[in-house]
Amino acid sequence: MTDVTLAVVLPLLGAFLLPLTAHRGLHWLGMLLGPALLALAALLLFATWTAFESPYAIALGGFAPPLGITFYVDLLGLLFALAVPLTSLLLWPGGSDEAAIRQQSLTLLLAAALTGMALSGDLFNLYVFYELAAVASYGLAASSATGPAFVAAFRFLLISALGSVVTLLGIALIYFKTGTLNLAHLATLSERLADPQGLAAFAMLLIGFGVKAELFPVNAWVPEVYAATGKRVAALLAGLASKLAVLAVVRILLLVFPHDEARQLLLLLGTLGVLSGELAAWQARDVTRMLAWSSIGQLGVVLVAFSLPGKAGLIAGVTVAMHHLVVKSALFLLADRWGGAVDRLKGAATASPLGAALFVLFALSLLGLPPLPGFWSKYLVLSGLAEAGSGMQHLALGVILLGTVIEGGYLLRIITRLYAAPERDIVPPAHRFPNLFASGLLALLLVAGAILIDPLWQGLNTLAASATDTQVYVQTVLGGKGITR
Amino acid sequence: MIGALDMLLLAALAAIPLSALFATTRSGRWLLVAAYAVQFGLLIMLQPATAAHSALSFQLLGNAVGWQMDALGWYFAVITIGSAGFAAAYAAGEWSEVNGRLGLSLRWLYAGLQINVLAMLLLLASGDFVSLFIGWELTSWAGLILMLLAGGDAIRASLRYIVYAIAGGMTVFAGLVITQAAVGSLQFDALHAAAPSLGTGRLWAIALLFILGFSVKMASMPFHLWQAPAYAYSPAPGSSFLGSISARMGLFGIALVAIKLIGLAQLDRLSLVTDLVDLRGLLTWVAVFTAILPTFVAMRQNDARLLLGWHGVGQGGYMLLGVIIADRLGSAGGLLHVFNHATYQAILLMAVFAVIHRTGTADLNRLGGLVTRMPLTFLAMLIGIIGLAGLPPMNGFVSKWMIYRALIVDGHPLLFVATVISTLGTVLSVYKLLHNTFLGQLRLEHEQIHEAPWSMTVPMLLLCVVVFVTGAAPGLVLQYVAAAQQAIGLEPVRYILGGIESPTGSLDMLWITAILFAGFGIGAVLFYLIGGRSRRVHQLDNYAGGHFLTADVRYQYSDNFYAGLMHRIRPWYRGSFEWTESALVSALGAASTLARGFFEQANPAQWVLVGTTVIMTWVMWYALG
Repeated sequence: MTDVTLAVVLPLLGAFLLPLTAHRGLHWLGMLLGPALLALAALLLFATWTAFESPYAIALGGFAPPLGITFYVDLLGLLFALAVPLTSLLLWPGGSDEAAIRQQSLTLLLAAALTGMALSGDLFNLYVFYELAAVASYGLAASSATGPAFVAAFRFLLISALGSVVTLLGIALIYFKTGTLNLAHLATLSERLADPQGLAAFAMLLIGFGVKAELFPVNAWVPEVYAATGKRVAALLAGLASKLAVLAVVRILLLVFPHDEARQLLLLLGTLGVLSGELAAWQARDVTRMLAWSSIGQLGVVLVAFSLPGKAGLIAGVTVAMHHLVVKSALFLLADRWGGAVDRLKGAATASPLGAALFVLFALSLLGLPPLPGFWSKYLVLSGLAEAGSGMQHLALGVILLGTVIEGGYLLRIITRLYAAPERDIVPPAHRFPNLFASGLLALLLVAGAILIDPLWQGLNTLAASATDTQVYVQTVLGGKGITR
Repeated sequence: MIGALDMLLLAALAAIPLSALFATTRSGRWLLVAAYAVQFGLLIMLQPATAAHSALSFQLLGNAVGWQMDALGWYFAVITIGSAGFAAAYAAGEWSEVNGRLGLSLRWLYAGLQINVLAMLLLLASGDFVSLFIGWELTSWAGLILMLLAGGDAIRASLRYIVYAIAGGMTVFAGLVITQAAVGSLQFDALHAAAPSLGTGRLWAIALLFILGFSVKMASMPFHLWQAPAYAYSPAPGSSFLGSISARMGLFGIALVAIKLIGLAQLDRLSLVTDLVDLRGLLTWVAVFTAILPTFVAMRQNDARLLLGWHGVGQGGYMLLGVIIADRLGSAGGLLHVFNHATYQAILLMAVFAVIHRTGTADLNRLGGLVTRMPLTFLAMLIGIIGLAGLPPMNGFVSKWMIYRALIVDGHPLLFVATVISTLGTVLSVYKLLHNTFLGQLRLEHEQIHEAPWSMTVPMLLLCVVVFVTGAAPGLVLQYVAAAQQAIGLEPVRYILGGIESPTGSLDMLWITAILFAGFGIGAVLFYLIGGRSRRVHQLDNYAGGHFLTADVRYQYSDNFYAGLMHRIRPWYRGSFEWTESALVSALGAASTLARGFFEQANPAQWVLVGTTVIMTWVMWYALG
């Protein structure tokens, strides 16, 4: 059995080693170190994935749960953990100057923290990794070192810090009511949290973790940050970081707050997110802000999906989240050279026909054109909502469909500009090869997903069956099946 | 085992890369026309009597997804491939050469046409709700390719189209998931079997969502605004193909889901307040208004393409009316009108585009007198407008007669009067089209114009033969209509070669045609025998009160046609639908500004506090309640 904790430790180590290489004439080492560590982490996680038989827990430092720090390894956690080094590798900021190395170091830090979030088995650790990821994100948001980037990063910092305080209050409240922060232990005590105080604690956690998950109403940092930073960073934050924050919320929801009220709160905020994001995107005048707002809308759909009870909700949520991870990362990469007003995109397809074609493919999948995976993810969410069938869920169904119509309007506005004749022969610059390559890979993944949709769904069924079973989690962590390190 | 349907779908799929490959040369394009002939042949080989199943079937996310084609889909597929074939042939020769030189992408044009055909075949061959939705969405997006090609005005029209199309598609999507929640499966049979036991609330939701979604494609009122410009500005073959068949996919959807799967008996359960109006009654009035209003909008158009586009919307109303009445005669009339409209509409659009090809304009205020310059095109348009106006002996008369007859027999006098008003508008506006293009004074700048090339006239004239033959012998088509009726569970029409046999009134077009021609013959004999003489003068010779006018004097002009009538009916048009549409867009803009305001405020962190407070209040409200 391979040791998944290394997938957290290695990038963390790299994050601190990397700046040292800059000063000692070891540029070549610096260039290699980050990608190598990420690749190693990915390999480790992949090996664990292939060797996976049943969920297990790791008690770090040899302290048995619920006292010690626990890592919990199941398919859901592994899937998201695996996504972290792979996406970071794909979106790796190249270069060997000092600014680039700082950015690389922060990327490694982010990757370590996000992997930790995916595997963490107790609430406080989850919070610590989340904070670590947040700090890395502030740095990344400011990494393009322009005025707007600093302002945007500062906005982000303010919102996020306030959110963290609220989260900490929520954690304190939970601790006050139950006396533990171990998720498995909490799962056995979830009855105690089935009251207004418990719901308040959940709401506080939601607000804090929601900042990175682009949850309404704590997502006002999103458009400015994505517009001001490099598009690789935007892709990393919108595609990857947001998903891990969502995963944290989902874990808490499944284990600690399996109550209808908590789901309803998530459903409500998700629906508002869809509505506000898509509406704002309708009038966006530049591509990045449009994508940022659209990402808020999409994450609203993700949260709505996870608010559905049982296996169906988890399957739908994971599908939408993974689809959004692939599509939004690729769209941000493609938007790299397409800054400024949408009208200035005229003729971009002549400069980079492949880039424009990929943009169309991803946009169509985002809109849910069958048989692309976007359709299936939307189908899972909508059929879940129709099945659940309360008034609020039908409303959410209507809002998601309305959001798709609006989304179609603005995405097509971009696409028609791409293929319009250039004005006065001014054509936006062609794509840089690394971006085109990365989004090409993602496109292959998307097409493969369309072909393999049924096996993937079968796999997700297995994943969801174990992830939604609280008993398995409790038994694994507290029942002595854990591994001590 | 690969069956006939698979062969057809594979051929349509294989023809897409071939289209992109061969579209740039003249011989290549004729090869592509041959490819349509092959697809048509493969389609004919399918037996329309029994449903042909595809070997292609999947288990997707717990749903069995498959394709099959019954007589209804087959009937629509014949029209689809036929329209595409004629459109491809029309453009194969000089048209493509000229327009290719002007910068039109022939590869995209031909590939787009073939993609449309494949998408429609997939839709028409859908075997369950998943494949139905796949086909539906593909058809919507494929249409966009043809619309976008022309650039310019077409882009705006296409964007408007796609928003409508996505809205329609998402409505169908909602219908699909609610059906699944209600009957537990996405198989057609499941809905059919469960429909009688569904509560009226559920049934309303399902029927309404599907019908609304499909109606957007048909451009039934109040969703009619997008269609005419979207179809009209597409390049000639695209426009003629889209105008002929594309919108009819909505009718197919309604016939399939509302008539076949939900069933008439269940539809009749759906009544509004106090049982006075039910869903079907409502739909018949929607259909009638769709037949009337767009027809009069068509009359006001000065662009010949838009005029025809608006007629396409209006004629869709007739088809919907026939299908929704759903008796033996009416539904046959509605379905037959799909074929008839496709044929004459293709002729009319081809004729208009032939005029554009020669003169460069479709502006009805800038044409005239072309009859001597383009006599074959004139003939084609004449036959086309006789068909569109629904006059014997062309095929449009037969289907409209059947719908009228059904309205009278079933006792809907008001609906009948309304359709007559619509026909009045049709006759007036097609005369405007013919007159302003071909009659009246020839414009000086068109003196050197000559007939369109044979590659364009021959497809038109062939279609004229189809319009005439199926008008004189509608039984040729009615046999397939009857099969389609049976496939959706309606009573099939009793047909003979010449038309309809019915105790309440038969129609035999063979006799009517014979009498008509005899009448013409007698007239001609009388005219020529009893000293009828005519003298040819040059078209540019103008006289007013015996005084010679030079050719540049606009003497017999055709500007602001029907000024008097327009003056009378103008107060009825306040553009209320355009107004509603723009009001909706403005409301969306306002909501968007509000949403942006939320994200763009100077101090966003306060929202963390506001959000926390609001959510905590919610929690407390929950605690108390």
